[in-house]
Amino acid sequence: MNSSAIAALRTATDTYVVLDDDDRVVSVSPRLRHDLGHWLGHVLWDHLPAAREIYEPCFQQARASGQPAQSVVFYSGRVKRLTAIPAADGLAVHIERLAELDVTTLGTLTRSLERVEAALAGRAPGQPDPRSPASLRALP
Amino acid sequence: MAVTVEQQAPFVVLDSADSIVGVGPGAESQFGPLLGSVMWDCFPGSEQVFKPYYDEARRTREPVEFVQFHDGNIARVRAVPRTDDRLELYWEVIIRLDTLTLDALIETLDRALALLDQMPSAYRDGVRKALHLIEGGA
Repeated sequence: MNSSAIAALRTATDTYVVLDDDDRVVSVSPRLRHDLGHWLGHVLWDHLPAAREIYEPCFQQARASGQPAQSVVFYSGRVKRLTAIPAADGLAVHIERLAELDVTTLGTLTRSLERVEAALAGRAPGQPDPRSPASLRALP
Repeated sequence: MAVTVEQQAPFVVLDSADSIVGVGPGAESQFGPLLGSVMWDCFPGSEQVFKPYYDEARRTREPVEFVQFHDGNIARVRAVPRTDDRLELYWEVIIRLDTLTLDALIETLDRALALLDQMPSAYRDGVRKALHLIEGGA
């Protein structure tokens, strides 16, 4: 596991939810209890519309391998790093926000899309993407 | 487009200092509590994209119609100057970007471009060009 994964797992120790095999939330870490405590007993997908197909491959990988799994995804206007850690009592899931769309104006949308693109590609913002032309940077 | 902006009730009326001094039918829930406030204080980031058009309407004393993007919405706006130095703003949201998933974002960008293509080029080309470039990078 690389250094970013190790760092994420360290952070995951205080911000995580634990899911049972049916993706029902069975535990919420103390730091998240204020915001997500009401999810306890609920299936995760009931609170995150359209997230299942995005998050589930990471969860399935962790469950199938018995090893922590990570994935960088886009959902609800944000790029997030998922860390799923299988344990005897469920699957601990930590979600770290990496970048966020800002739809205030076309300018903020353009700049935030650059950050989103970079986060999804694992690049630092501003670092050229060798796969595509600099179309976003063509904007004023 | 079936309904023109002109056929809609005015959403808000601004005084010469851009304070909200009137709210039209259908906009009370959003703008009613903001009566007396300066528009730009209520919607950060909006002044730079809307005020130039409002200033033009006041300066020319002619209605100005344009398409603008703000807060995830693409809207057609018509600013109509009144003889009492107040400005009536008519507002029609054309589409809202869906940022739930990347697929949804790209789909709404596609739809936005298609809708903009149906509008007169004079007041939508800036937004259309920007969205087209954004779509290419999304």
